[in-house]
Amino acid sequence: MSRARKHLAARVAIYTCLIAMALFVLGPLYVMVITSLKHMSEISSGNILALPHIPTIAPWLVSAHKLSAGFLNSVKILIPSVIISIAVGAIAGYALQFWRLPGASLLVLILLIGAFIPYAVFIYPLVRILAFFGLFGTLTGIVIVHTTFGLPVMTILFKNFYSSLPVELFKAARVDGAGFWRIFASIVFPMSTPIVIVAVILQVTGIWNDFLLGLVFAGRDNMPMTVELNNIVTTTTGTRFYNQDMAATILTAAVPLLVYLVSGRWFVRGITAGAVKG
Amino acid sequence: MKFSMKTAPLRASVAALAMGFGIGAAAAAEKADVMHWWTSGGEAAAVHVFAEDYDKAGGNWFNDAVAGGDAARAAAINRIVGGKPPTASQFNTGKQFDDLVNNHLLRNLDADAKAGGWEGAVPPLFLKAVERHGHIYAIPVNIHGQNWLWYNTGVLAKAGVPVPKTFDDVLADMPKLKAAGVVPLAASTQSWQEAILFNSVLASVGGRKMYVDIWSGKGDKDISGPVFAKVADTFKKLKAYTDPGANNRNWNDATAMVIQGKAAFQFMGDWAKGEFANAHQTAGKEFGCTILGASYVVGGDVFVFPKNKDPAQTKAQDLLVKVMMSKGTQLRFAAKKGSIPIRQDVDVKSLDICAQHGHELMANPANQTPSVDMVATPSVVGAETDVINKFWNDPKMSTADFVKKFAAAIHG
Amino acid sequence: MMKIWLRRNFSALMALSPALLIVLVVYVGCTIWSVRISLTDSHILPSDHYVGLHNYVRLLNTDRWNTSVGNLVFFGFMFIIASLVTGTLMAILMDQRIKGEALFRTIYLYPLAMSFIVTGLIWEWILQPTLGIQKMMRNFGFAHFHFDWINHSSTVLYTVALAAVWQGSGLVMAIMLAGLRGVDDEIWKAARIEGISPVRTYISIVLPMLGGAIATVTVLLALTVVRLFDLIIAMTGGGPGDSSEVPAKFIYDYLFDHQDIGLATAASTLMLGFVLVFIGPWQIWQWRRDVRGAGR
Repeated sequence: MSRARKHLAARVAIYTCLIAMALFVLGPLYVMVITSLKHMSEISSGNILALPHIPTIAPWLVSAHKLSAGFLNSVKILIPSVIISIAVGAIAGYALQFWRLPGASLLVLILLIGAFIPYAVFIYPLVRILAFFGLFGTLTGIVIVHTTFGLPVMTILFKNFYSSLPVELFKAARVDGAGFWRIFASIVFPMSTPIVIVAVILQVTGIWNDFLLGLVFAGRDNMPMTVELNNIVTTTTGTRFYNQDMAATILTAAVPLLVYLVSGRWFVRGITAGAVKG
Repeated sequence: MKFSMKTAPLRASVAALAMGFGIGAAAAAEKADVMHWWTSGGEAAAVHVFAEDYDKAGGNWFNDAVAGGDAARAAAINRIVGGKPPTASQFNTGKQFDDLVNNHLLRNLDADAKAGGWEGAVPPLFLKAVERHGHIYAIPVNIHGQNWLWYNTGVLAKAGVPVPKTFDDVLADMPKLKAAGVVPLAASTQSWQEAILFNSVLASVGGRKMYVDIWSGKGDKDISGPVFAKVADTFKKLKAYTDPGANNRNWNDATAMVIQGKAAFQFMGDWAKGEFANAHQTAGKEFGCTILGASYVVGGDVFVFPKNKDPAQTKAQDLLVKVMMSKGTQLRFAAKKGSIPIRQDVDVKSLDICAQHGHELMANPANQTPSVDMVATPSVVGAETDVINKFWNDPKMSTADFVKKFAAAIHG
Repeated sequence: MMKIWLRRNFSALMALSPALLIVLVVYVGCTIWSVRISLTDSHILPSDHYVGLHNYVRLLNTDRWNTSVGNLVFFGFMFIIASLVTGTLMAILMDQRIKGEALFRTIYLYPLAMSFIVTGLIWEWILQPTLGIQKMMRNFGFAHFHFDWINHSSTVLYTVALAAVWQGSGLVMAIMLAGLRGVDDEIWKAARIEGISPVRTYISIVLPMLGGAIATVTVLLALTVVRLFDLIIAMTGGGPGDSSEVPAKFIYDYLFDHQDIGLATAASTLMLGFVLVFIGPWQIWQWRRDVRGAGR
């Protein structure tokens, strides 16, 4: 009896905490949603936490219309950038982990440090390099840029993941005479599904939300959606429409949110493998 | 690809038609990629005037809008360096494009200036601002007054406060307004807004000459003098009449306080008119505008035209210059933008009373006070903005301390 | 000998070449370039006029930079620890065979997908006494309720950390939950037989087993700290005064707004130095461990 009661009390406490934290996390979303449904006059009168008096969906329509122009460009940038950056990172992680090459740890060290440099500093020299090869302002150019800036985290993620795989499998394959690509294709990569999902989620979030790199490198005809998002939400001396800002932000987040929802299950299981072994 | 027999001729003729149009369009109008940061409501409407008139004149405007001046300029500079320059690109009137001129990346516009009769029409201050080494490298497209004092007429009347004429008046009025239960000064701690306030004080209390000398690095003596100390004191005293919500407040939210009668005053550029217009208020009725003293701090925007190997682009650039600087376009642009036209030889009767007042002030060169961007380099402006920001927000920072830091930062 | 080695590892080297190229050209090449620029008087375009360490002297005499570095350290510790605690707590609660796990997980993760430029504004509104929580509480009748941390230099960083934890703890939750799921059931059984309470089992047995996960999370959080600037721009603008300025915002401002790439690259070079000081020893330790591991 008392044990059952104790159990019940524990369950109540657990759910209370979970819900309290969920409410904390959802608080800002609540403000965003109600703001997006208000007229500007109501917002500037200051009752930001109150429900809208006269709701309007006009801000959503305006934002959706403005954002629609860049949507396809964002997709065009996203898909090759995600695939190529993950492929390069996965192969690098595999080569560094299993093929003990001289200088491998130096390479990892540089990558890790590189991840911490504010990438804005690299923009100018990268522009010159890409322009030299005629790739500046092209889709290829922006894919290379995303691959470059994604490389550190991707390589480290995959290298850590592969370090948790049993090395015996690899050694047995070597003894059987399998080569580099053969081992990768038939043994290592098939085991990588969970970490690939993790990488997809990280890269989709990062690349989809990127603004500055797309703006500089993608070229005038490939401007991503975030340039439009920025045009909606940023201004110095212009008038602001907070309701449109909110609607546009939620709309822009739709793609990464969808990826979280669809792949949530693997996300969790995938990170296990990469992270658990230090 | 297989065409069915029936549709093939149709498709062929459509294709021919499309090609005909294509050729026609290409001959008439090379795409003009115009980079700018005018993305918000009134700004977009203003830039639409340029686009419309340009297309009417036979051009083909490509709107390349990037919100935020720093992002837009960074993108433009990198595209120029990367060999894919825009046809035209916006900068603030001032020194922001000096490096581009010095690296021979911009077109010389002397011939266009001559053809357009700019000399005599454009205020000398602004013509000089686009001149480098005796040549013209940009077109100034508007004049924005930056030291306007906006006030709510109802609030002032209720508190029995007349429209101030000097900063001493302002300081004297503040306690009365506070007693009347309103926020005397709608301010913000965003550093660019603090800088606008500071420069309004400097131009008014210190006067035009001191303002220009100090910002162009020739006023070391002025900085250590008593007048500058008074400027600093006046500036700092204003802080007491702001509200706690000023922290990182967007400028339009401060304007909204004046509109709604929650606050009495705001110092802001003339772009604030757009906010009053959105709230269906009229200058002279619900709200008023004034300049304290005669020094009218003016800045604005210019467009530069990167050198291009493609002659069609060069032609598009020439047409852009012609359209943007024409009288009719200038007047309609200024009306939408809230600025005043760059040309003095236009009739401004159609503009609101604040713009008319500004145009009037501009007629006398002795009033023309350049914005800091026009006389100081961006790095000096940036460093001083940080100093001003620190002074405004740090209650422990003394005037003497501020003067010392300001003097140290003025030479970069 | 060399030939055989080369033939055996040829494919590996080929496969590594894109990564190698990027590392050499961008991470090494561009870093050297930026160090060079930091020694010149460059404004928006690189100049060849060397000025020695002038930019570094200027940088160290800039109040805003010194404040930024201090803020980064203070904020960084607070943010990393708070995110770790919150995220781990979320993960532990979600590990209790709860209903609606997928729903909670998505809720905890959604802030990651939203642009900080806008969510930062929302946080500012919520924390601004005249608009948000304080106003709401006073409307409820608590006339003296006081909450204006965002407006004071001494407390503003806590509010920034709050918003950052809001965004970052979901990721911690996901990684820690994954770690918890990997713990062997036998350990739990043993603990139960020994009569150790679940809370104590977590603290003294399970969490210490997740050192690897904690290390990974810490690196990701540290990355967030060093790169953080859009939240600051939207939420506090670096203020009041410069009390919530951070180095990444400093570098961004000087690069693009102040057109002072000499100073900006000097700042990024110093940042690189800090990172080396933090990461270098750890990497060397790892490397030595790997070497010992390989020799086994």
